[in-house]
Amino acid sequence: MIFRRRLLAVFALTVLVSVVAVAWSISSFTRRAFEKANEERSAALVAQFRHEFNRRGEEVAHHVGTIAASESTTRMALALIHGSPDYGAYLNEARAVADNHQLDFLEFIDNQGTIISSAQWPAKFGYKETLALTATIPKDAFLKQEELPDGAALGLFAVREVSLGEKPLFVAGGRRIDKDFLASLELPAGMRAMFYQNLGAGFFPQFLIDASSSVPQADRIAPIIQQLQQQPRETTTLVHWSSNPADDETIDAIPLAGRDNHLLGVLLIGNSRRPYVELRQRIRAAALVCGGGGILLAILLSGWAAGRVTRPIEQLARAARDVASGNWNTQVPVSSSDEIGELAESFNGMTRELLAQREHLVQAERVAAWRELARRLAHELKNPLFPLQLTVENLLRARQQSPRQFEEIFQESSSTLLAEIANLKAIISRFSEFSRMPQPQFQQIQLNDVVQNVARLFQAQLRAPECAPIECKLELTEPMDSIAADADLLHRALSNLVLNAMDAMPQGGTLTLRTRRDGGLSYVEVSDTGTGLTPEECERLFTPYYTSKPHGTGLGLAIVQSVISDHGGRISVRSESGRGTTFIFELPRNLDKLQGSDKPVGAPARSH
Amino acid sequence: MRHGVTFQDGAPVTPDAVAASLRRTNPAWKVFSEGEAVVIERDFPAPNLPAELSLARNAIAKRDGGRISGSGPFAVSQWNPGKKLALVARDDYWGGRAFLDAIEIELGKSVGEQMISFDLGKTQLIEVAPEQAHRAIAEGRRIESSAPMELIALVFGRDSQLPEDARQRQALALSIDRDLLSTVVLQGGGEPAGGLLPNWMTGYAFLFPTSIDLAAARQVRSEIPHTTSWTLGYDPADPTARVIAERIVLNARDAGMGMQITTASNADLRIVRLPLISIDPQIALNELASEIRLPQSKSAFGSVDDLYAAENKLLQSQRVIPLLHLRTAHEVSNTVRNWRTGRDGSWLMPNVWLAAEKP
Repeated sequence: MIFRRRLLAVFALTVLVSVVAVAWSISSFTRRAFEKANEERSAALVAQFRHEFNRRGEEVAHHVGTIAASESTTRMALALIHGSPDYGAYLNEARAVADNHQLDFLEFIDNQGTIISSAQWPAKFGYKETLALTATIPKDAFLKQEELPDGAALGLFAVREVSLGEKPLFVAGGRRIDKDFLASLELPAGMRAMFYQNLGAGFFPQFLIDASSSVPQADRIAPIIQQLQQQPRETTTLVHWSSNPADDETIDAIPLAGRDNHLLGVLLIGNSRRPYVELRQRIRAAALVCGGGGILLAILLSGWAAGRVTRPIEQLARAARDVASGNWNTQVPVSSSDEIGELAESFNGMTRELLAQREHLVQAERVAAWRELARRLAHELKNPLFPLQLTVENLLRARQQSPRQFEEIFQESSSTLLAEIANLKAIISRFSEFSRMPQPQFQQIQLNDVVQNVARLFQAQLRAPECAPIECKLELTEPMDSIAADADLLHRALSNLVLNAMDAMPQGGTLTLRTRRDGGLSYVEVSDTGTGLTPEECERLFTPYYTSKPHGTGLGLAIVQSVISDHGGRISVRSESGRGTTFIFELPRNLDKLQGSDKPVGAPARSH
Repeated sequence: MRHGVTFQDGAPVTPDAVAASLRRTNPAWKVFSEGEAVVIERDFPAPNLPAELSLARNAIAKRDGGRISGSGPFAVSQWNPGKKLALVARDDYWGGRAFLDAIEIELGKSVGEQMISFDLGKTQLIEVAPEQAHRAIAEGRRIESSAPMELIALVFGRDSQLPEDARQRQALALSIDRDLLSTVVLQGGGEPAGGLLPNWMTGYAFLFPTSIDLAAARQVRSEIPHTTSWTLGYDPADPTARVIAERIVLNARDAGMGMQITTASNADLRIVRLPLISIDPQIALNELASEIRLPQSKSAFGSVDDLYAAENKLLQSQRVIPLLHLRTAHEVSNTVRNWRTGRDGSWLMPNVWLAAEKP
């Protein structure tokens, strides 16, 4: 599983890095392209503005020239030659003419600089206008700040002279640079033009306009204006209108100066960054979608690939666990011819070899067991047979050599023969008993009761005067869980262990019977303080017919192991040389093996 | 009461009808009929009562629901407020039937529309702006003008609160070039106003010099440490008022005072046109005071001195600065015969008749 995750992580990381790299590349390329396009658009718009500015100037100059050459202007000039002007007669003259020529500003000025008629400020008749008093009248249009009753305005002006005699008449006309002028500029989408009228040091928001009206958040432009007021040259600034980057705008500021190079106004070309930001967001969204899809695809692909790679390994691991648990007859499918397939083939070969080895071992053990049985039987049977042979030979010799004493000897020999025959019968009975071990009859019992019964049974034997004294200690855990078991078989097994313990303590000692529970299992321990067993003896202790005692059959512990095994438990031994031996068997509760309602039973009911 | 006078619906004009009509328009008066006479009682002596009774608002009329019946030579046949008034001659008029059968007066027409209508012969009489009257006369048109019956003045929105404010108002009054306003802006259609009432009405001289005194204005201005930049309001529908306002801004600037023109209603001072509704000076003065929300004189003017003092008192309040007195002018077709107007420019229609147009 870990291998599969690693594989998945590698796939996903590879896809992610690829997508991020592509998105970054595209984003960088887009930014450079956009900035280049932005510069080109701004430059084009500035050029357009200059062209429009010049065109408007030529238009204004043309209109002013037309007015100067008109009949009404000629009459006005002639009237000036013949006397002082009648301001009342010309009060509305300039405004009417200006309306006809679509001019915002128009003034007729005499050679003294006195305004005869004014369109933008009709009441200004009789006042002086310095424009006509300059040494040279400019031929081209120029920027001029014009004072008006309700403030001041910036205009594109042209001046023409009407000379009919000694008193020339000047015609000064112009058009206002205002939101209408800005609206007349044909701007590409995403661009706008603003205009700031510079009426003095500092920034005044009301003097900043665009094609629609006043500019909201005009104070954001203040640093640009103040910079140009200090140093009037073209500049480009990025303005953040809000926290949303899409509202950002690149502002190109163009200073507009009058004839005396005084800063009269600032043209501001705004280029919205919204298209770029939106494009960047779309690229990011596409990258996210591609990245997400790539990662998903990577998961699927890596899952598929990892499945192909790791499934045989997992099967091998599972098979290895089966082998470890004893199921050697385990084979894994061989689905490929690569290294994994070769490994599977090797595994299958190994398990086959193990099975063969085990079969061979079982056969060998079986033969060995039979040999041991034969040896034991021979040994067991030979012991009584030898006295039988001697007794019969003694009878025969007595009959031949001492017929008188034959009767007496016969009586003595008969009892010996009967005893040895009884001994043979006992030996045969034990073997028979071992071969006929019954299946446990499960009932609900209290293990402590079984232990106490066994202790009670051996109480007299332990205190027998002809034997060395053995103290019996009971260390019982209360309460113990009731378990399902065959009380008779457990009694028998426990008795065997107690007998073994007693045999191990010919010089006396302490026999300890101990019960405890741990993790749902019940434990019984039988400890003696005898001489202990060697590790080799411990290994062979439960082998049938093995015994370390001179008169044992080697079946006692085999019976104990069989009983415990039939109850689903295990038995083990722990021994320390010179300090004694402890047999421990554990029993599961086995409540699932109960049939019907059973009362706890502690006393043995079956005869031995 | 003259006998035989009837309303246009034929009902006789009785003392009760006259008293009811006067009570309606003058709730403060105590008016009642007594036999053949109508008795009017006032709280104070009113030697100008006949002049007051001649005001248009005191015309004797009978109101029957929304319908008004007068006792004049013409009866209202159609009244569309703000657009049209149609009159027909009454055959039963007690003074004899008028020569004209009917009169139609169209209202709300621009100067251009009026001139076109007049030149096409559709109209026999049109209104002419005072500043255009001079040129119209020069062009040979028949212009009938009244005596100056309208005052153009600067009216402040509130009384002067501080001495500096009063001095600044004085400086402004001195800086205004009324002569140029009269000769150039109005082109002779008005006269510089040296008081609230025109000379022809009062009989005495100007209350203050009308010519510009820029030196005095600057002197007064120099006595003020800090001037207030006033806003000067004007009616955006009145182009003449705009030019006058612009000129006053220039005059004020020459005297060292800043001023901005505006069309907003909350200006510090405004250019207003104040019609003089009576040729009686006391009535005209009281009406002017009422119009500019200054206290009216309750006592009767026993002499010209009283009138002078009352007018001077109004001027001393510095709430109003008179600028010009304007004439009302009309262009009358040559087919209109026997055309006569009152001194105040009112039309005297009963004897007017129309001659046939020349082919």
